[in-house]
Amino acid sequence: MSGALALRGARLPGGGLIGSVLAVAVWEIVARLTAQSFFIAAPSAILLHMTEHAGLLWRALGVTLWAAFRGFVWGNLAGVLMALLVVLLPRGERLISTLALLVFCLPLVATGPILRVLYGPGDGPQVTLAALAVYYTTFLPVLVGLRAAPQGWFDLVRSYGRGRMVALREVRLPAALPYLVAGLQIAAPAAFLGAMVGEFTGAERGLGVLTVRALRALDLPATWSIAVITSAVSVLAFAAVGWAGRRLDLAPPQVLLAAPGQARRSAWQGPGEALLALGVTLALWKGTMELFALPRFFAKRPEDVWAYMVSGPGAEAHRAKLFAAMGETLAFAAPGYLAGLALGAGLAVALTLAPRAAAFTMPVAIALRSIPIVATAPLIVWALGRGAAGTIAVVAVMIFFPTLVACLHGLARTPRAVLDLFEVYAAGRWRRMLGAQLPAMLPAFFASARMAIPAAILAVTTAEWLATGRGVGALMATVASTSDYGMLWSAIALIGLAAVLAHGAVVALERVVLARTNAEQLAR
Amino acid sequence: MPDEPRPDIRLTGVSKSFGAPGREVPAVAPLDLRLAGGSMTALVGPSGCGKSTLLRLIAGLERPSSGEIRIGDESPDDLRKRAALSVAFQDAALLPWRTVAGNVALGRSLARRPRDAGAVSELIELVGLSGFEAQRPAELSGGMRQRAAIARAMASAPELLLLDEPFGALDELTRDRLNAELPPLWEAHGATSVLVTHSVAEAVRLSDRILVLTPRPARIAADIAVDLPRPRDAVVLGSEAFRETCGQVSAALREGQAPGRLAAQ
Amino acid sequence: MTFRTPSRRLFLGGALTTATAGLILPRRALAQEAVNFQLSWLHSVQFGGSYIAQNKGYWSDAGLEVALQPGGPNAPVEPPVVAGTALVGISAADYTAAAVNQGAPFKIIGVAMQKNPFAIASLAENPVNSPADLVGKKIGMALANMPVLEALCSINDVDIAEIEVVPTQYDPAPLVQGQVDCLLCWATDLPVAMEIQGVESVTMLLADHGYAVHSQTYIATEDSLANRRDQLVALMKGEVMGWQDYHADPAAAAALTVEMFPDSGLDLATQELQAERQVPLMFSDLTEAEGFGWFTDETVAANVETLALLDKPVSADLWDRSILEEVHG
Repeated sequence: MSGALALRGARLPGGGLIGSVLAVAVWEIVARLTAQSFFIAAPSAILLHMTEHAGLLWRALGVTLWAAFRGFVWGNLAGVLMALLVVLLPRGERLISTLALLVFCLPLVATGPILRVLYGPGDGPQVTLAALAVYYTTFLPVLVGLRAAPQGWFDLVRSYGRGRMVALREVRLPAALPYLVAGLQIAAPAAFLGAMVGEFTGAERGLGVLTVRALRALDLPATWSIAVITSAVSVLAFAAVGWAGRRLDLAPPQVLLAAPGQARRSAWQGPGEALLALGVTLALWKGTMELFALPRFFAKRPEDVWAYMVSGPGAEAHRAKLFAAMGETLAFAAPGYLAGLALGAGLAVALTLAPRAAAFTMPVAIALRSIPIVATAPLIVWALGRGAAGTIAVVAVMIFFPTLVACLHGLARTPRAVLDLFEVYAAGRWRRMLGAQLPAMLPAFFASARMAIPAAILAVTTAEWLATGRGVGALMATVASTSDYGMLWSAIALIGLAAVLAHGAVVALERVVLARTNAEQLAR
Repeated sequence: MPDEPRPDIRLTGVSKSFGAPGREVPAVAPLDLRLAGGSMTALVGPSGCGKSTLLRLIAGLERPSSGEIRIGDESPDDLRKRAALSVAFQDAALLPWRTVAGNVALGRSLARRPRDAGAVSELIELVGLSGFEAQRPAELSGGMRQRAAIARAMASAPELLLLDEPFGALDELTRDRLNAELPPLWEAHGATSVLVTHSVAEAVRLSDRILVLTPRPARIAADIAVDLPRPRDAVVLGSEAFRETCGQVSAALREGQAPGRLAAQ
Repeated sequence: MTFRTPSRRLFLGGALTTATAGLILPRRALAQEAVNFQLSWLHSVQFGGSYIAQNKGYWSDAGLEVALQPGGPNAPVEPPVVAGTALVGISAADYTAAAVNQGAPFKIIGVAMQKNPFAIASLAENPVNSPADLVGKKIGMALANMPVLEALCSINDVDIAEIEVVPTQYDPAPLVQGQVDCLLCWATDLPVAMEIQGVESVTMLLADHGYAVHSQTYIATEDSLANRRDQLVALMKGEVMGWQDYHADPAAAAALTVEMFPDSGLDLATQELQAERQVPLMFSDLTEAEGFGWFTDETVAANVETLALLDKPVSADLWDRSILEEVHG
């Protein structure tokens, strides 16, 4: 997530052109050799399809881009406003962060139909889903940025007797700008993919519509054309925001992700805040549904879920079914999550030990990050099979990249003086890594471990829905198609609870570890 | 030139401790002090002795754990609210996204003074930064940053100027030049000034009075009047009186160490 | 009475009134009422009759302004119909039964597909021609459709444990790539796609092996049946007329579909083939005799029986023929 910084290293090295030509040639040959398997479309076929259907593709791209753009604006606005709210009301941080995490974890199967009913015809759901796809990854870095200023700058403002609003205007907002740019960079491809997936909720046109059509029609050139366009748009959007950020001449963020706020002041405060968050969540859940008068048939209230899971008829069977599915999901999600984190951190260490490899790895990693999970999941499952390995790999791929970038960033932040110290004693690369760089990486590592939780949930449920047909992801898809909305909302509640608990566990572990290694991170 | 005599700063039983209740670490022992209006007082002491904390207390950036600070009949907060004090911070605290001119202008706008490009460029010229108006702090040397920070502190024409080791991080040569060039600026303005420093020569050269502090908690080990003529040019600095005062301060510093350590135990 | 010169405001007001009238009056003259019609999937010739009704003005002539809402992979039909944002939705008897069991107040007011389009598609070299052939095969399907396979096995005395189920997305790739031996899909889409791509396939229609479930059914809420009857009749009347035209010339319907939705990425050859393939599912001796969309007590009874096997018990009350009777009567 090092934003503008990362892309600078992404330019292809000198022989890039030859390499690209070679790669395309190999692609073409492999595609032709495996034509019978209907898996890879040849570059020539893709090009032909694009030229033959240029008008259609341009129009679809325009439609999806327009929805994505509006979602991008709204989602980022929401993320920034939430971060501002936390800064102005520091006591509300836990509550706002929890709500933000919960809303981010809402699965498409639940939001899709509700948005369609709320908006009626039109592209409202697409715009909203694009916004939902981006607000969280903007909220987190902007919040860090708003707090990233040294105490002296705030003292300066205070020494003239000026208050929080002036500090916000003169110090916090400008200081947060590079963080915002980094957040926007992550958001740009995400908004586009959100808009595409939003078209799955019933749209007349757009790249998402064409994707569904092409997949079903076994139209490989069309499928791959859309994938190429999507990837190109994502990479371009990522680069464009980075370019705009550099034009603004912003210093790159110091620490993109910081440890969570102050330590609790007393023992009861933690449970108290948790109870408050639960209460507010339930009230918002019910309140929103009542406000829009959403029919109980598909918009289950908290009490409906309670009845379904605890007090109503068949509750025991419902619980057994849901917990069994959840168990299956966790059995895949947990190893995938750990594998993704280990892979990301491990690769960051490897690239730091062998910096020359980074020039070749980063462009691939950036491209990987921009490709939608909906597109990669079937590919990975095709390669690794529909068993545990495939699902675990999908989860790992989904979270390894952000972890890699964050850890690289953290490693690079090892203080120069500490490195010099190791240099003076002629310590080897490994010694330096263990003694100086790894501890410097830990805060970034834990921050990405927190952010990876919703990503892992999204990945595992998507893989289950599209490929393995097991676990909660498949259960939600099944029950949505048979109108069993009681089960759907119970599953959503359970997923949300699991996400919050996992988040809490990572935060607790983070505090314990950082208290030993990076105490200064926790001070503020 | 001051229109009216500046009021005295009075500290009555002022102390400051840090840390959680029950495990407080005293930083400033209860102090009674009176600093004359319009004078320049230097706070001298070893690193970490609490002299910066004392300065921040006077600035109203920290609340005293006990006692009271008055500037005339006002509190530090009253002064801050009128934007009548300014601080030159140890690390310059320039905002990296503003240019030199922008940072100096910030001193006016934070103090709710009207925009005045002329006054800003005059100050920049006074601190010797002409030609660097459009540079960002990252492009400046350490000495240039401190000049900009002092220009910013002067920009609001404060009644009380607090200088927190403004030259602490600079090399001897730069420090010497700034010591020579900048004092006429604030002397002309006549603000009551408090300077925190750990350089004995700097304290003697710039101030009217030197308070030597013991290490944590800060107590006054010695109160030395600097009775040297101004401007303190090469002749003054080469004089016996100057050396004598320096020796006096150094001796007080050495003596101040021992009881301070005892007190801390 | 004093004489008032027309003021500027009066004049302006008059002009505005005229303008507004110009916008509204033609509509009012036809008493256009706007309703939403929720389709079950993305636009395609699957809904060809509705496009004809739209295009030839069968609805607007009856004073109804129908907006056709496309569905999608994540757009269940039932919520907008329950919420009242859609007057009528295209569902299937099994989905409707499930929703009714969950408390949705639906009635089936017409049946577009007399024969269920579910089929098992396989490749010619390893064909599935009868349910017994499924034994020992790998079948690719969405897990949501498990009850369908269970019902088929139970009707035809096939041991479902002998079939290996592979969860797949709804696309023909797993079959063509050899990951599975056969696919549970609609006879009118994946086999059509494979044929267009030059892959020969064998389809076994579940409806030919005892699986009697009405598909592409028209559903409306009991509330709409009580309070918006005229709109329902007008909408269904347009549907019937549109689908009659479709029956007369499916190729024209395919051409119209491609023309009406240029941004949907439709391919004319595919649409024509699909249009042709769905004719035998929608039109039968029964519709020949009674009209498009019709159902009888016997066909309903067969549905109730199959739905019970699908673990979606319903009574024959779910079907309401009164709208069709008005349309055809």
